[in-house]
Amino acid sequence: MENIKITGQHGVNFIPTVDFNADSGICELAGESYLEDTIEFYSPLFSWLKQYTVEIDKPITFNFKLRYFNTSSSKCIIDILNILRKYKDDDGTIEVNWFYDAEEEDIEDELEEIEDFMIETNLKINLVAN
Amino acid sequence: MHYRKDINLLDFHRSLDKNTPLSYKGPIDDQILQAFGTYIEGLLKESPKASRKVFKIFVELAQNISYYSAEKSILLNNKEIGTGMVLINELADCYMFMTGNLVQNDDIVSIIEKSEIINSLDREELREYKRQQRKLPPGKRGGAHIGLIQVALTSANPLDIEVNPVDDDHSFFSIAVKIDK
Repeated sequence: MENIKITGQHGVNFIPTVDFNADSGICELAGESYLEDTIEFYSPLFSWLKQYTVEIDKPITFNFKLRYFNTSSSKCIIDILNILRKYKDDDGTIEVNWFYDAEEEDIEDELEEIEDFMIETNLKINLVAN
Repeated sequence: MHYRKDINLLDFHRSLDKNTPLSYKGPIDDQILQAFGTYIEGLLKESPKASRKVFKIFVELAQNISYYSAEKSILLNNKEIGTGMVLINELADCYMFMTGNLVQNDDIVSIIEKSEIINSLDREELREYKRQQRKLPPGKRGGAHIGLIQVALTSANPLDIEVNPVDDDHSFFSIAVKIDK
């Protein structure tokens, strides 16, 4: 299974940095996410995760290091979390970490959003202050 | 020599006083979004927290215009982009961020209803409403149906919505959002 590596860009769109590693089981989504077509960007990431859970079937550590994401991207984050939750329900081993900057101006809003992600997907997310 | 008839730029300029650091009417594509995003950061640099909030609100409302405005522009690459207005106004204790665009009358009732629901809810209820709406199937290009809800959550103030009929098929929809400094 191939790894996915996408270098983030803060250009006309904000493309997040993606690093999905099939050998280590460590997946990272970092930077900023605001895209013209959110589904087009995230669909291959969903497929990769689903394929990993079926073919590789080893532990996954998912690290979110997002500084900004728009509401369309938030729906894709939910989709990722739901894939991971399903894997966990099928006895897969997962760990989800959310790295945040405690100094960020609107950190309360971000923490509230992560709490909403947990409520909405019924999945535990570890909060890690940078 | 006077070519101009109905447009008075001075009146337009006066209507936007010195407290309006940014105003725009035209197509809202990703390049405009990027440029304004950068301007907002610079214009509001004295209040970093408000600047961040204005930026988030701007992205959601501008994207709504770009996807859903009933007034379209065709760009050189043949892409069809929604057209609308964007304006920032600075007051003593807050920023007002406003957008306006044409909406098909068929769509206007659901927008008004959604705005009224949003304004009737407290923060916890609003978060619950957001989680509920986010579960719906995605809209255009992955839209999550929660742009307006997120705008209300980010601003932490009610949405000020106005709808004025334009013709048999269209209304002008405008929204003003208050962001405390």
